[in-house]
Amino acid sequence: MASSINASTSAGLVSTADLSGVLQLQSNGTTIATISSTGVQTNVGAPAFSAYQSSAQTLSSATYTKLQFQTKEFDTNSNFDAVTNYRFTPTVAGYYQVNGQFSVGSSATSMSPAIYKNGSIYKSGNNSTSNQNTATVSCIVYLNGSTDYIEFYGYLASGQALNATASATYFQAAMVRSA
Amino acid sequence: MTLYDKIIKLYPSLTSADFCPPLGTIMLQNDSDGKGDYIKSWTNSNPEPTAEQLAAITE
Repeated sequence: MASSINASTSAGLVSTADLSGVLQLQSNGTTIATISSTGVQTNVGAPAFSAYQSSAQTLSSATYTKLQFQTKEFDTNSNFDAVTNYRFTPTVAGYYQVNGQFSVGSSATSMSPAIYKNGSIYKSGNNSTSNQNTATVSCIVYLNGSTDYIEFYGYLASGQALNATASATYFQAAMVRSA
Repeated sequence: MTLYDKIIKLYPSLTSADFCPPLGTIMLQNDSDGKGDYIKSWTNSNPEPTAEQLAAITE
């Protein structure tokens, strides 16, 4: 059990008490946060998704191309579009950790990944001019929970097909702090 | 023939480095929306090619 403070839509502020040493903050009966001796646990739906490219995409030479991720591993808030726009538009405002990687079958002389926010480059990743077959990028981005979205673009100096497997070409994001 | 190929054919002096981020002066982009490759930005000393110039370049 737990003590609770509930902001009720019918009764106003309702509090209950017990001897558990645990306090729940509730919105109309739904527990939003739990405070105990171990810290604060929030239960607000913090969006997270992971998707990968399951159908190989061929990039043109020297052209930043939006990568397509057709298969979801998880999408806790149904905020990732894996059909049309391949973009993540979270419905909860906050700061998000973003990871992306793309891979090619044959080594490339130059490849660069980039996270786009609202259609423009936000952060780009490693761009090596030596032969390689994998490029990664990670960043933290603020998204407003309504209109902001992120996408993942890839660049290859010499175009070729991507390696379309879950471990090779993927895109992930998860909220790490609320707004 | 890709947009990159056409630009290289129009300006043979260009190299892949001119397109390479973040220092390249030409940025090509494809939004995977079925509309194909396009010039996102152009700060190269050569003039940006027109759609007509690009359309006239064939194999």
